[in-house]
Amino acid sequence: MKLTTLSLALATTALVTSAGAEDLRMSWWGGDSRHAATQAALEACGAKHGHTISPEYTGWSGHFEKLTTQIAGRTEADLMQVNWPWLSFYSADGGGLADLNKFSDTIDLSNWEASQIEAGTMNGALNGLPVSTTGRLFAFNKTTWDAAGLDLPTTWDELLAAGPVFKEKLGEDYYPFEAAALDAALIMTLYGTQRSGNPLIDPKTNSIAWSKDDFVSAIEFYGQLVDSGVIPAWQDVASAGNVPLHENPKWAAGKIAGTYQWDSTYFKISDPLGEDQELVYVDLLGQAGMKTPGIYRKASMVFSISANSDKQQAAAEVLNCLLNEPEGVSALGSTRGVPASATAREQLLSADAIQPIQIEAQAKVIEAEGPGIHPMMEFPSVRSAMQDNLELFAYGELDASEAADEMIMAIEEALEDIRS
Amino acid sequence: MGGDSKYLGLAYVAPYALGLLLFTAFPFLSSLYLSFTDYDLLSSPEWVGLDNYERLFTRDRTFDKSLRVTLTYVAMTVPLKLVFALFIAVVLNYRLKGINLFRTAYYVPSILGGSIAIAVLWRYIFAGDGLMNMILMAVGIEPINWFGDPENALFTITLLRLWQFGSAMVIFLAALQSVDKSLYEAAAIDGAGPWQMFRNITLPLITPVIFFNLIMQTVHAFQEFNGPYIITQGGPLKSTYLLPLYIYDEAFKDFDMGYASAISWVLFAIIMVLTLLAFWSSKKWVYYAGDERN
Repeated sequence: MKLTTLSLALATTALVTSAGAEDLRMSWWGGDSRHAATQAALEACGAKHGHTISPEYTGWSGHFEKLTTQIAGRTEADLMQVNWPWLSFYSADGGGLADLNKFSDTIDLSNWEASQIEAGTMNGALNGLPVSTTGRLFAFNKTTWDAAGLDLPTTWDELLAAGPVFKEKLGEDYYPFEAAALDAALIMTLYGTQRSGNPLIDPKTNSIAWSKDDFVSAIEFYGQLVDSGVIPAWQDVASAGNVPLHENPKWAAGKIAGTYQWDSTYFKISDPLGEDQELVYVDLLGQAGMKTPGIYRKASMVFSISANSDKQQAAAEVLNCLLNEPEGVSALGSTRGVPASATAREQLLSADAIQPIQIEAQAKVIEAEGPGIHPMMEFPSVRSAMQDNLELFAYGELDASEAADEMIMAIEEALEDIRS
Repeated sequence: MGGDSKYLGLAYVAPYALGLLLFTAFPFLSSLYLSFTDYDLLSSPEWVGLDNYERLFTRDRTFDKSLRVTLTYVAMTVPLKLVFALFIAVVLNYRLKGINLFRTAYYVPSILGGSIAIAVLWRYIFAGDGLMNMILMAVGIEPINWFGDPENALFTITLLRLWQFGSAMVIFLAALQSVDKSLYEAAAIDGAGPWQMFRNITLPLITPVIFFNLIMQTVHAFQEFNGPYIITQGGPLKSTYLLPLYIYDEAFKDFDMGYASAISWVLFAIIMVLTLLAFWSSKKWVYYAGDERN
């Protein structure tokens, strides 16, 4: 009898700490290089832990819609790549996704700093482990700037002054920078944050932290960028069919020579450039009297486990393998940016698997100061509220003051909707 | 019919009937229920009565704009497409050498037309420095901002739909070929010219098909999504923001399924009213063989 009890206890312990062979699913978004690397990593981790993992991958566009519909229908994958701001939508109370703290015996959580763990925690539950940290940085085509006879800018004034020089030295179709739609709204956000010292949305009150003057000056600054020939006008970007930067022939040809992008998208924006063109990251441009550099930094994405999965233990083993174990880390490489996991980062650095420019960009993101970004900034309704009214300003339908009023009203409406 | 045959018949229609109930009737009625709720997909629907409809008709400026854009788009697209499809069908009805090749060639855009790839191709053709502006400049005409100017963007999307005239054209062609040739011979003997024959013989005899195409094209136009979604994303200044795009944004970007359902039902009501109007008016202009009015 004692032997039977002991056997049962051992079996139970084994079940808690390690799962039997399971058929799992993992979903993510990304580009081709990420798809290939993740599939290789899943094979390696599956072989190591005795699981079979079916990959489900898409591009960025539409992934939020797909994942949300799956979660609503309880058909989501066991293991998921989730955009950090979505956590508050899926799991405001911490119950929408599995609590990874329950698998701390399987997942080595000591590889993440406390602030990173906090970023993935909702209402006390660790709903997602940050894969990497990312931030918006200025990247310039140094080759084109050299051709214009200019040093890369360090301030907004220097950028503004570059517009006419580009036109004079290189031609009317050359621009030192670009920003339309979301990128324009984020440039506006950066400028206003630097000026006011506040994030647009206050994380404590979940409401707007800027004054109307902050909005007006940020909107007017966008107008200055267009008027100085620094960026193509909104109408011209629309005329080209709103093609993404990395698909824009003018970017590939160096005729657009600067952008403001996530540092984790280095390969996406550098791949289209010819070998004779050099892409360089610079520190955030500043303005006189600014109160903060205003870095827009966040966990780029997290790995989460489905709350509805009945194979959570197996999913946790695979998750730990992908983020902490040599087999998974080696296969994934830096296709999701510089890893947040200390072990993974050290492994890739010692293997020279991260390019120096990625390390340099990541350092700029980590070292720059700025108020915390509110997840609601990335909700589609908040983004639409900014973009739609900035577009009205760009087309001359509203002046800066009217656009600011409309923008404030629309953002407040969106926030109220989200809060309720 | 014997008992066994009756059950056999029911068994034959059962798959279709079940499919209709599960995949059409159930979602259809569910969306009606959801239109009276606040539902974000992740939590249970909460009954809000007529709130969604009240917001739609009294406070939603985007809906007003989107509805205007949609009606303008339908008013432009449907007549243009019908006239164009009929014109091409008349041309292709002539017995010319290699006419089948031409018929196929004209139908091909309709097979490809609704695809994402064609929308992307359209984007490149009408881009600021695209093929269309190159042609214009080559003949000395100023380039046009097809997508970036709110005055032109909807028309450019209309052109994409117009290009997909093949299905309407094929139906017109079949109708033209079914017109009794002896009527033309009699008219020719009476001295009627081609235009008189077309106006007084062809058009009246194909009115049932014109009516059918009118209904189908109207319904399709109200449901247009791919073109504006891929090419303009509803812009600029929401000048191509058709109601299906608005429904999609509300449902899958803002996850306001209740509100999206309410917009869908208003769109359904508009299509229904216009269809009923068309049916009502058809008594005055559609000719059916064997009709008592003949």
